[in-house]
Amino acid sequence: MPLLEMKHICKSFSGVYANENISLTVEKGEIHALLGENGAGKTTLVNILFGLYTADEGEIYWKEQPVHFSSPKEAIATGIGMVQQHFSLVRKMTVLDNVILNLRGNRFVLNRAAAKKRLVELAEKYQLYVDPDAKVCDLSVGEQQRVEILKALYRNVELLILDEPTGVLTPQETEQFFEVLRSLKKEGYGIIIITHRMSEIMSISDKVTILRDGKQVADLVTAQTNPDELSHYMIGRALSGEMVLEGQPKEEDILYLEHISLEKRHRGKHLEPFDLHIRKGEILGIAGVEGNGQKELAEVITGIQKHTSGKIWLDGEEISHQSIYERYESGVSYISEDRQKDSLVTGMSITENLILRDYRKPPFAKGILTNRSAIMQNAAEKMKEYQVRASGKSGADTIVRLLSGGNQQKLIIARELSKQAKVIVASQPTRGLDIGATEFVRSQLVAQRNKGKGVLLISADLEEIMAVSDRIAVLFGGKIVGILNREEATVQKIGLLMGGITGEEIEKQ
Amino acid sequence: MIQRKNGKNTLIDIFLIIIITVLIGTLLIVMCGAKPAAAYNLFFHGIFGNISSFSEIFVKACPLILTGLGCAVAFRTGFFNIGAEGQFYVGAMVTTMVALKLTMVPGILRMVLALLAGFLAGGLWALIAAVFKAKFNISEIIVTIMLNYIAINFLGYAVRSFLMDQGGNVPQSAKIDPSVQLTTLIRSTRFHTGILIAVGCVLLVWFLMEKTTVGYELRAVGINQRASACTGISVMKNIVFSAFLSGGLAALAGGIEVLAIQKKLLEGISAGCGYTAVLIALVAFNNPLGVLATAVLYATMQVGAGSMQRQLGVPSAIVNILMGVVVILILGKEVFHMLGRCRTLTAQKGEK
Repeated sequence: MPLLEMKHICKSFSGVYANENISLTVEKGEIHALLGENGAGKTTLVNILFGLYTADEGEIYWKEQPVHFSSPKEAIATGIGMVQQHFSLVRKMTVLDNVILNLRGNRFVLNRAAAKKRLVELAEKYQLYVDPDAKVCDLSVGEQQRVEILKALYRNVELLILDEPTGVLTPQETEQFFEVLRSLKKEGYGIIIITHRMSEIMSISDKVTILRDGKQVADLVTAQTNPDELSHYMIGRALSGEMVLEGQPKEEDILYLEHISLEKRHRGKHLEPFDLHIRKGEILGIAGVEGNGQKELAEVITGIQKHTSGKIWLDGEEISHQSIYERYESGVSYISEDRQKDSLVTGMSITENLILRDYRKPPFAKGILTNRSAIMQNAAEKMKEYQVRASGKSGADTIVRLLSGGNQQKLIIARELSKQAKVIVASQPTRGLDIGATEFVRSQLVAQRNKGKGVLLISADLEEIMAVSDRIAVLFGGKIVGILNREEATVQKIGLLMGGITGEEIEKQ
Repeated sequence: MIQRKNGKNTLIDIFLIIIITVLIGTLLIVMCGAKPAAAYNLFFHGIFGNISSFSEIFVKACPLILTGLGCAVAFRTGFFNIGAEGQFYVGAMVTTMVALKLTMVPGILRMVLALLAGFLAGGLWALIAAVFKAKFNISEIIVTIMLNYIAINFLGYAVRSFLMDQGGNVPQSAKIDPSVQLTTLIRSTRFHTGILIAVGCVLLVWFLMEKTTVGYELRAVGINQRASACTGISVMKNIVFSAFLSGGLAALAGGIEVLAIQKKLLEGISAGCGYTAVLIALVAFNNPLGVLATAVLYATMQVGAGSMQRQLGVPSAIVNILMGVVVILILGKEVFHMLGRCRTLTAQKGEK
């Protein structure tokens, strides 16, 4: 008897199919992977299952009984739990309170002692160790994920949906996490895991369902397939070849951070003092679990945050005291992590966003007047060169909010990779992009490198870092804990560094 | 009214809003015991009856245009200036002072100086809130509201002390010399030069916002402060500038009201237009030309309702109620569209 069956699910948003006739079966004790690019319809499908969306067509059967969920509450009551990509925990409350929050059967006066006992038992059983009395905001991301899983288990679910659960974990943490999944599997839980990482699918799942453009393109048994086949189904074509890093970086530094640190009032040190240099024609990858100082590093270089001590040198000139705008003029370009918040004025048009850096200079400005024809011409050129596609008839006057993530990112790149750029700080430049756009962005960064510019590539995607970096530095706790050359870098070594184990300790092992 | 896909839907929205407003207006008239047909007849007669009442529309619209424009400028830069009322009073006060005391400067020049001084004072008055926001991150909404009370009561103090007319015992200033007053343009009406100044300001602000790099910065800061800062625009400079301009425009309204209509300073001179201005800017979506249109429309309704009130005893407060209805409908419509957009957005994002 299958635990869950979804049959012929269809869901469209404003006339576009997000899910078109998708069927999925999960047995007890099965780990079922959902694979697909961004926008393929994975999250829509599980959101339908979890009662967040209602399907236009199709049926859902739970233990062969037809069910219909109009809210997550009903899904949970039936036995389906979901750990969202962005956790839904109350950060200022304790682990225990988070677990029993909004629990059916809560009395007016809470019985915390009994709840705690049960929570500890559950945690022991599945090795989901976490202090029930700790506040969520004090926990690491990995621990918070455990709380989310405990929350679901506490509600006696039988099917767990995990949306991109490993994005925030180090390789080693991921392995531990998979151990937990395996023990849950042994207990007969059904698990649906969404991911786009081939290696993880191969190592954890029993079956794979692959979605592309809202359609179901393949159902495979993991043991009978391989990553090449998976990626072929996923993108509908073979991946284009690896990026070519032409020649070696030059000897001279383009950017040098001398003993840089960042402290914030009341909130301690965000960057511990360290030195870091990027050479001309080099991509320096910054690996690390998110929240270990990546954003601070990027913003200290670009001038958005003022460093507490140390000096920043760009091409032999000190830029420590320059403003954001002066640093851009000197040659620091920035592709930010949060493109809609930090890099684009999404309520303005493509043309206007393209001049956000240069609007006050000719040819875009004539005195205090804006020069519409030059601005339009610039937009037309940049959109062509960087393949920015705006749907609809407004063309270059399209409001940026209406563009896809990939096109928004291309817009930023078109603006930031200007002639005067000497160093490009690229933070998570391919996050949320489909494979085509990802390849485009990476090739642009590599092209800049090959032209002799310096690139600081901050990414949570280890595969990305390893694919295009000349050297890889690892950030942990606001400090560079190790720098590896391209040749000596392995997932294993980087993973240990990401977990805070320093180079010497690795040598000893 | 489901999703904004084209201009046609917006037109339908506007049409629906008008219908709902008229229905509610009719209901209110009936509840007063008046016949709607007679009331509407008087309403339109009051507006188009003769040149004097028709020009009254622009007399009433003038302060609304300037204060509304001030609010729109500030809102567009993300500075929520609720202090047009207070800035209006400061402008009226300072303009009166210069007009009365600067007797060594003759006629028109003194008038220009008086208006400029008022503008400057109002701008500086608004700047207090801008500095508090920029330096200490204190909500400008609260500060501007508090500044309103100070300005309003200080004017009350002024007309009882240093600005009081020595000849009388009423709390108001002496009459301003006719040579310093703003001239009336059409005989036997109150249509004055200040109205042209107001329209000129609208065009100037529109040009500034749409055609200059200054306006580009202001708009960018208004939509996304963080991204503006991250790409090297000084957020503080822009907020300070927009606050100054905004306060100055509201103060100019006060100065014009003194020099063109009242010809002296007295309490309650704004008739609450500084608060109405907030609504006007909202309805006009902070577009300068929209402010002009909305202010004129609102003044038209006021004039028509005034005639209804005089002839039939239907309270002219109906206009204020209807204005409230329009604002709620427009905002409600936005919420409605926003929900639609959010749904599509989450749907798109959900594909990950």
